Amino acid sequence: MTHFTRRDFLRKLTAGGATLASYWLLSACRGGQTVVPAAPLSPTSTQSPSPTDIPPSPTAAADQAGLPTPGSQPESAPTTTTAETGPPTAAPSMQHPDMVVARGDQPEELVRQALSAIGGIERFVQPGHDVIVKPNICVAYHTYEYAATTNPWVVGSLVKLCLEAGARRVRVLDYPFGGTAEEAYARSGIQEQVQAAGGSMEIMARFKYVNTDIPQGLDLRQVDIYEDVLSADVLIDVPIAKHHSLARLTLGMKNLMGIINNRPAIHRNLGQRLADLSSRIQPTLTVVDAVRILMDHGPTGGNLDDVKQLNTLIVSPDIVAADSYAATLFGMQPSDLSYIQAGTAMGLGRSDLASLKIEEITVGG
Amino acid sequence: MADRARRKKWWRPRRWTTLRRLVQYLALLAFVVLFVWSRRGGWPASLVNIPMRLDPLTMLAHLLASRTFLAGSALALITLGLTLTLGRAWCGWLCPLGTTLDLLPLRRRRYKAAGPSDSWRSVKYVLLLTTLAAALFANLTLLIFDPLTIFFRTLSLSLWPAVDQIVTGAEFVLYGVPVLRPAISTFDGLVRPRLLPPEPVFYRYTSLYAGLFLGLVLLNLVAHRFWCRYLCPLGGLLGLLSKVAIVRREVAADCTQCDVCARVCPTGTVQPEAGYASDPAECTMCMECVAACPRGSAEFPIHLSLAERQPYHPGRRQALASLGGALAGVGLLGSGLAARRDHPYLIRPPGARENNFLSKCIRCGECMRACPTSALQPALAEAGVEGLWTPLLVPRLGYCDYSCTACGQVCPVQAIPPLSLEEKREQVIGLAYIDQNRCIPWTDNQDCIVCEEMCPVPDKAVKLELVEVLNANGQWVSVQRPHVIRERCIGCGICEYKCPLNGQAAIRVYVPNDVI
Repeated sequence: MTHFTRRDFLRKLTAGGATLASYWLLSACRGGQTVVPAAPLSPTSTQSPSPTDIPPSPTAAADQAGLPTPGSQPESAPTTTTAETGPPTAAPSMQHPDMVVARGDQPEELVRQALSAIGGIERFVQPGHDVIVKPNICVAYHTYEYAATTNPWVVGSLVKLCLEAGARRVRVLDYPFGGTAEEAYARSGIQEQVQAAGGSMEIMARFKYVNTDIPQGLDLRQVDIYEDVLSADVLIDVPIAKHHSLARLTLGMKNLMGIINNRPAIHRNLGQRLADLSSRIQPTLTVVDAVRILMDHGPTGGNLDDVKQLNTLIVSPDIVAADSYAATLFGMQPSDLSYIQAGTAMGLGRSDLASLKIEEITVGG
Repeated sequence: MADRARRKKWWRPRRWTTLRRLVQYLALLAFVVLFVWSRRGGWPASLVNIPMRLDPLTMLAHLLASRTFLAGSALALITLGLTLTLGRAWCGWLCPLGTTLDLLPLRRRRYKAAGPSDSWRSVKYVLLLTTLAAALFANLTLLIFDPLTIFFRTLSLSLWPAVDQIVTGAEFVLYGVPVLRPAISTFDGLVRPRLLPPEPVFYRYTSLYAGLFLGLVLLNLVAHRFWCRYLCPLGGLLGLLSKVAIVRREVAADCTQCDVCARVCPTGTVQPEAGYASDPAECTMCMECVAACPRGSAEFPIHLSLAERQPYHPGRRQALASLGGALAGVGLLGSGLAARRDHPYLIRPPGARENNFLSKCIRCGECMRACPTSALQPALAEAGVEGLWTPLLVPRLGYCDYSCTACGQVCPVQAIPPLSLEEKREQVIGLAYIDQNRCIPWTDNQDCIVCEEMCPVPDKAVKLELVEVLNANGQWVSVQRPHVIRERCIGCGICEYKCPLNGQAAIRVYVPNDVI
């Protein structure tokens, strides 16, 4: 073995340093820290390419906001990627309901039937899509019966449906605030169901948050968002409906907090900021798990007396509408929740339940 | 005959040192691997506890101080048996600290004449006797000098956090390059769950432990394996036992006094003036002399006798001095401030407070390593000199996870009792108090419900009270103000950890109070 001299060492150190520096330069050349990496989110519904369909009036505002027509190519979309996601309601199809509310005691069947009633999973997930399912796995403390975390069978069957629709991969993630993700994934029972269904649990890495502009944001203009969520083709938001003392209820929009880094920042003026976040990250589909709901001591729970079994599932491409309906399960009005108010005002969706086409189905005996 | 000659040719004396190095590296690897997988969700505690339980010094001291015998500590008998047969082979072949020091031979020439005087060797015996005497008086403070606790403390509190920082930093930089993203993602997904802490870990004064370890290594400049020769109390214990070890070094009559063995001996115990004989209490059975001897004169035959006494071996005087020193130390510590009343922030791991913690904890730091939130930190002044580097919960750095029992599982001596999750959830380790002078709803009349939101107790120990107050602008506003319900609080500290204020939290956990 030859001697490794000091000179050799310095040479290699310099070479290594130069390589690292070039990485740094390269990453600096991405052009400004706030630019989002190319995230070609395809329009969520391409089934009805005819723009001649009469759009439901509340989405007209969204159309005016520069949304591409449903038939346009997603790749040609401008760099402000909000436009690309487009609320799914912008691609209306008169035969599909705006929302399906399914009732029954078989969570897996609830998901299947509700999705087929809303137009089939194929309406949202196309072959080759990269899908992220975001349940609520906020703590590692309790099993699903305590209604602090999303029902594992709801998540599992969603994963299965996405894979059946030809999704390239389906990842499930959340960032628990109490306990480690590893522990929380296991104790919630979600990991078992997801892996059985063929999906994977992703433990959210600290370095994967990207500082992202929120062009439509009224109060929150910038936030660090998990990169994989930004670059996924489809995001399915699967909150469990439960009590929260500041937001009053944790539903679809509140569940999106799990994909950002600096959560204390969003606590002040929570309603508007949640709506701002939702304007940037619009889930393709919102599935509110109300199989069991937590009436008090949320979001952590732990007392079965606070749990109410409703055996209900709410499915809608409109996150505001889904949240609005879920609020009524707790005896509240949509307008009681600040983020629904803010979301409606921003045109992210509809909270006027009377104007929505809601299909209520009963599954099983 | 021919067969024997061939075997002799195959097994050259030099192979002994090669074999020893191999065993040393494998043992070091095994110790590090057991350390790495002592994380929560890693290997079972019975496995990861093996290293500490192999250590006869900590096990003996624990037995003396706690007056309880742990079945697991019987593993130390393996080390004792090994020593009674092969002398200090533990030091030369297995000890992770010894191997680390061997790997960093800062002093190329190991000739003993250059080192300090042999009388220094008695330091380790005095340290050993004082440790054991203090253990008789239920004090285990001196176990901070045990080589295994030093090794694991350094790994837990310095090396691993630093490795985590470096790896995470590199990931942050490299993730900035879009083309590398999938690779970095895959790498992190593979490496972090197995090797690195799931959350960033922070310890108080990481550099202190690294510095102390570095100091130990730098002593190699004065003499190779300075620590093992002069200071190590475990080496002292094994050395005393080695005096009756069966296999001991001897020099054959055909020795030409070439002085090679004295030069290569890493502990400098080969004495030219005594016919190149060595002290079995100092010999680590490293076989360097066998490999170096040109004539094969260094041998390791079987003895059934007591080795010759050396001037630096402990006698009655050292024993009495150690006993006196231990007595004085225990008396002074017992009359110190820390013993009078608990430090307000001395929050012990769950279940540890009520069981004579200080006479059980061997200061190995396994619990701090296993704690997934790095909530358990080494005590500095909180527990007095007596409790130096025992674990305490520092909620601002990490909280006690409501779903975790890791510290009690990995504690090799059950100083932290191995509680079931249900039992652990009942443990009141502290009590939270709100600082109404800093709390946002109390001073700024704005909603902030973070402590209530985070509280893991089923019927929240933090309650919100809706009040109408006059704010600074003279407007009536309604605000939710947090209150702690004393009898529900378990002191897990997640409220203090998550409190959004900068600096000190507006809700702080104090030691539990018997009055309330």
